[in-house]
Amino acid sequence: MKKLIVCGLMMLALVSTGKVTAADKALQIEGSTTVGPIADAFTESFNKTYPDIKITVTKNGSGNGAAALIDKRCDIAMMSRFMKLEEFTSAVDKGVMPVAHTIAMDGICVIVHPSNPVTELSVQQIHDIYIGKIKNWKELGGPNMPVVVVSRDTSSGTYETFDHFVMKKVKMDESVEYVSSNPQVHSRVKTTLGAIGYVGIGFLDAEVKGLKVNGIMPSKETVANGTYPLSRPLFLFTNGYPELGSLSYTFCTFYLSEKGQEIIEAKGFVPVTHY
Amino acid sequence: MKITTRSHFDKIFTAVTWLTVLVIITLLIMILGPILSKGTSAVIFRDTVEFRKMQITLFRRGNEMKLSAEKKQTAAVRQKIYDTIDDFKKGIDTQSLTEQVRTIYRRCGQELRRKDLTPQQYTDIRSTLKDIRDRLEIAFASKDKAEIAECVTYVMKFSGDENFKGTSAEDFFVIAADFQKAAKKTDLTKQHLYAESVGQIEDLLTLLLGPRPGAALPATAMNQFGATRWDLAQSILDKILWKEQWVSQGDGLPLVKTRTQRAEEFAGTEIEPLFGYIKDNLKTMMKPKLRFYWQYLIDDSTPGHYFGGIGPEIIGTLLLTLLSMLFVIPLGIISAAYLTEFASDNFIIKIIRVCINSLAGVPSIIFGLFGLAFFVLFLLPAFGAASKPCIFTASLTLSILALPVMIRASEEAIKTVPSTYKEASLALGAGKFRTFISVTLPAAMPGILTGVILSLSRVAGETAPILFTGAIALGPVPSSIFQSTRTLSYGSYDMAVGDRLAMMVPHNQYGMVATLIILVLCLNAIAIVLRTRLFKKLHGH
Repeated sequence: MKKLIVCGLMMLALVSTGKVTAADKALQIEGSTTVGPIADAFTESFNKTYPDIKITVTKNGSGNGAAALIDKRCDIAMMSRFMKLEEFTSAVDKGVMPVAHTIAMDGICVIVHPSNPVTELSVQQIHDIYIGKIKNWKELGGPNMPVVVVSRDTSSGTYETFDHFVMKKVKMDESVEYVSSNPQVHSRVKTTLGAIGYVGIGFLDAEVKGLKVNGIMPSKETVANGTYPLSRPLFLFTNGYPELGSLSYTFCTFYLSEKGQEIIEAKGFVPVTHY
Repeated sequence: MKITTRSHFDKIFTAVTWLTVLVIITLLIMILGPILSKGTSAVIFRDTVEFRKMQITLFRRGNEMKLSAEKKQTAAVRQKIYDTIDDFKKGIDTQSLTEQVRTIYRRCGQELRRKDLTPQQYTDIRSTLKDIRDRLEIAFASKDKAEIAECVTYVMKFSGDENFKGTSAEDFFVIAADFQKAAKKTDLTKQHLYAESVGQIEDLLTLLLGPRPGAALPATAMNQFGATRWDLAQSILDKILWKEQWVSQGDGLPLVKTRTQRAEEFAGTEIEPLFGYIKDNLKTMMKPKLRFYWQYLIDDSTPGHYFGGIGPEIIGTLLLTLLSMLFVIPLGIISAAYLTEFASDNFIIKIIRVCINSLAGVPSIIFGLFGLAFFVLFLLPAFGAASKPCIFTASLTLSILALPVMIRASEEAIKTVPSTYKEASLALGAGKFRTFISVTLPAAMPGILTGVILSLSRVAGETAPILFTGAIALGPVPSSIFQSTRTLSYGSYDMAVGDRLAMMVPHNQYGMVATLIILVLCLNAIAIVLRTRLFKKLHGH
């Protein structure tokens, strides 16, 4: 026992002698799990160009990203939604001036099992499905099959966007299944014949079928030019516009470079600029 | 009760206990089996030449000489596929051909302006060029072989023209000749279908073989290499060979999945034999080899865990666990000692006990939020440090979480020490403190170690408490306890929720989870060995 404690103390002493990194070479990023993969990949590219910088990424949701920026716990907050008024107010109260950088677009695709012959729904029809008014695919010209409705949990940014565009603040039916992540929606729909769900455009693949919404197919083009009705921008927020030439500045404007846009596409999102 | 009934009851009881044991074992196998077996596939698997390329480029690991020899062998086989597809595309990808022709025309126009020509000559040549361009465009758009032949013959008339020697216009004739050759072989009515299918095949080939030689390198590591695992390569091959479609059976009926061979779709074209070729040469192209990738446990990963190992995660988990145990063990023992030995059994102590017991049932995320509010936002600034989540705050949070378990277990252990031990020590004139240190504590140690084991396992696997107090998804390996760290538990959570990665590289996620389980088992094993030794020592064996 004594040995164990001594070992532990020695280890503690060993690790605490390490240097604390210089502030200008470190970047702390916190926030949305949706934007997270983009930050991961940006970091990968940055580490290649500047090997001695240290970037940390924490993914704990848009709300926490905003809170961390307000508390000055991070340099850049990732958010899959815009800041709310309350967040703005409390930021300004603490002397933080949030500035938004729109780095990419994300489309929210309504997906069904590939065996489902329905190819198109209107926003109103999706609304009716989620409030429980439509309970069978027969009513939509599909096979006689009950609709299994899958939704993201209410804390997710994807849910909030869907709520804003489709539900319009009306509560979902009690039969709706809530799952906590995009991959879960994907796998639930992939394995359930009558299921309907919604995911980010990056999760659209051959195993699920993306539906046209109001006659518009979700694709890079329709999301980028804003014709697809369920599109949203993804943001990085900084405290004030980052000092020109600083690490934050380079990171927040990286999406404008060809490489940045290629990364955004590789991660399944839609670049905001044409290149 | 009669003797016989009693014995029947006994038998039933024995049977039920055996049954329960069986159920528990099956449950363990059902839960741990898949995790461990899939987790092993992160370490033991059949890799491909792409994996070896990745290892050298990203981690400087492997034999470069051997690899370059392998690269040469595979490149020769691969090149044939690219050549066949390129040849075929000359006849079907009319859109890009049209664009090429237009570029050539524009370039020629600029070249002409630089030449020393009379205005009349310039206009003549320019109009000839335009004529050639238009004819070619007609040919590209046409579905009629005779018309194509006519257009191409018209264009080829100018191939010997002195005016075009050494200018970009010569490219016109190359394209025209290629197109006619390709057009003779292809069914022009299927052009559109072919183009789509070839596009799909090219995408799949990029997945299988990585980006084409000479093409620009993609920005992220995950797109720079082909299929790094043999099983993945085989599943991509399947997608290349078979086309899956969902076909309607009629109104109001679900669609059915059909699989058609792509070779059939391309019947009669020069691409048809390609499918057999890819299938036969897959091994030569990928060179699968059984690999024991133990470096998985020490390697860093590319951001997002697509490639590489879990070294920093293991270090982070160990650091957090051991550091929080440093806080938990002394605090737990001292509190338990106070509660059992020194405190009188009054109302306040009862309330403290109830509080400790209920603390054990508080959801872990509450501890996380408390840790954020107290340690990160209050304590660190109070000591003049920057209020950033770090290993220190995370392990303090974890230790609060584990403390109730530790106190309860130690209390029970101390209570079970026979009072005769203490009485003997006290009778010899030792004080309360001396008695506790030299008699009660050693005797209670095995029980206390059980508490350590329980809290250790809990601490190592928790995600929610460290979410806000010190865990990060991506960042450098910590060099001090005032930096945040990656951990196994948070890493697997991150892979599961954020990205498509968990779907693409399931072995990495399972590997992380399996390592966490094994790590906890190992830490427990150490504590168990310690306990047995102590127990033996105490009983004088």
